[in-house]
Amino acid sequence: MRATPDPDDAFSVPGDRILGLDNVPIELPLATAGSRSLAAFVDYVALGALSVGLAVIAVVVRFAAFDLSRDPSRAWWILGFLTFGFFVLEYGYFAGCEILMDGQTLGKRAVGLRVVTRSGARPGAAAFLIRNCVRTIDLLVGVLLMAFDPLNRRLGDRLAGTLVVRAARRRQALLVIERVPRGWQGREIAIAEGFLRRAATLDPSRVEPLARELLAALARTDPELAAQALPSESAFATLTRLLAVRESSR
Amino acid sequence: MSGYERFVRTRSALWDDFETRLAAPRARHQSHADLETLALQYRQVLHDHGLALARYPGTGVARRLGALALQGTHALQWDRSDRMPGVAAFFLRSFPRAFRRHLPYLGAVTLLFVTAALFGLTLGIAQPAVGTSLLGPGAVEGMRKGHLWTESLVTTVPPAFSSSRIATNNMSVALLGWAGGALAGLGTLYVVVLNGLMLGAIVAATVHYGLAGDILVFMSAHGPLELTLILVSASGGLALGHALVAAEDRPRAAVLQDASREALVLLLGCLPWFLVLGFVESFVSPVAAFPAPLKAALGTALLSLFVLVAANPAARAETP
Repeated sequence: MRATPDPDDAFSVPGDRILGLDNVPIELPLATAGSRSLAAFVDYVALGALSVGLAVIAVVVRFAAFDLSRDPSRAWWILGFLTFGFFVLEYGYFAGCEILMDGQTLGKRAVGLRVVTRSGARPGAAAFLIRNCVRTIDLLVGVLLMAFDPLNRRLGDRLAGTLVVRAARRRQALLVIERVPRGWQGREIAIAEGFLRRAATLDPSRVEPLARELLAALARTDPELAAQALPSESAFATLTRLLAVRESSR
Repeated sequence: MSGYERFVRTRSALWDDFETRLAAPRARHQSHADLETLALQYRQVLHDHGLALARYPGTGVARRLGALALQGTHALQWDRSDRMPGVAAFFLRSFPRAFRRHLPYLGAVTLLFVTAALFGLTLGIAQPAVGTSLLGPGAVEGMRKGHLWTESLVTTVPPAFSSSRIATNNMSVALLGWAGGALAGLGTLYVVVLNGLMLGAIVAATVHYGLAGDILVFMSAHGPLELTLILVSASGGLALGHALVAAEDRPRAAVLQDASREALVLLLGCLPWFLVLGFVESFVSPVAAFPAPLKAALGTALLSLFVLVAANPAARAETP
């Protein structure tokens, strides 16, 4: 979703972008309401597991550490601590994870999301606490607000001044054209790289016709390079060879 | 060699190195030289990103540089204004300042609470069924026999457990009153009015059974501070609601962020007191062995201590 400029934000520029140093625009890959809901689901499952874990610890402590026949009141103390532990988990899990895990909870890490400020920076503890203090309210209205907000923010994000973005994944294969045909500019390079990157996921019957179209475009601007095509080779293989496609790190 | 090829060949070593440095576990004390290198590389990556956006938009290199620029921004920039002060600085300076700034809101919620409580009291006295319906049949039966339901706080469940339950319940109410402010203040108003009405109606029920003195003795140790804390938290919520609906001549986002940070300080300054009150309400308030003057003195001392912290004169002197 493309965002409209936010007049309240000094860093905002048209589109979901921010301005970095020297006014270089940086794209913000905003997380969608769907991916955020999925992350929240994973988090609530984790929260349930942690609660069960806490209860198990309490039971183990109750039977292993204390002789309750001598002092039965200790069982109530354990129950008291357990009640407080549940409260801390309920209200502290999200903020605690985000403070300790650099803007991520277990769910956000699993889905690949991260909380950042509106300038793309790392938020402080106060921002994490604020956005999670209103989580109860956001359970009611959050998804609706995200659906209508150009920056996909829920109420907590608006109060804290934060955004949720897609975090950079681990290194991915990156296809780079090492031989650029004469006459090709950024647009042609982007189209060719995009095609080559997605070729493995395309319907096989569509790959060869598209590769032939790209070869035809190449032949129009750089006939010398196009002449190196071999009749026995498929169009896709020819394109890959002529453009000297390299799979670099990331 | 085309410009694109040259660009990729000459710059990718820098991008790889920057990415490796970003991925490395952040040492607590990175050397100055490391930080300088990282900052310099960030700037270079940003410039390369700007170039790629202008000349080679949509290419794999532009996409990679975009991701690196965002990662670098996140790794190197930290919103320092959001950093929480230490515990001492928080209670000596931040909390008193926030408390003072919220006094008008505190006045408003207190007025609302008192009005609702008086209304509940009047309603409860006129219609005793209102108060008794809130307490349940067990409590009403106990009051008929001259016993307050509060006695069961130490007989049904040991105070070791009830203190925790009471503290977490009160903290939940305070959190709800605070967060309710995000609904344009309506949630906060609901919590304040509801609690005021309930208190008034329940006191009216005890009046009906001639136990008003007993309930006041019970509440004297923990009640004054408990109600104060809930109202102080709610004042933060009301300030949030006010910022949401009336930003005046400042950008709404900026007003909201400032208001939420101030209100958070108020909430965090109140929460620890609820733990103390949980113990008082379980171990002191329901125990008949403690005389009424002692309970009243404890309640006054706790409230005074809170007011002393909140109205710290030293913080007043430092206020800009």
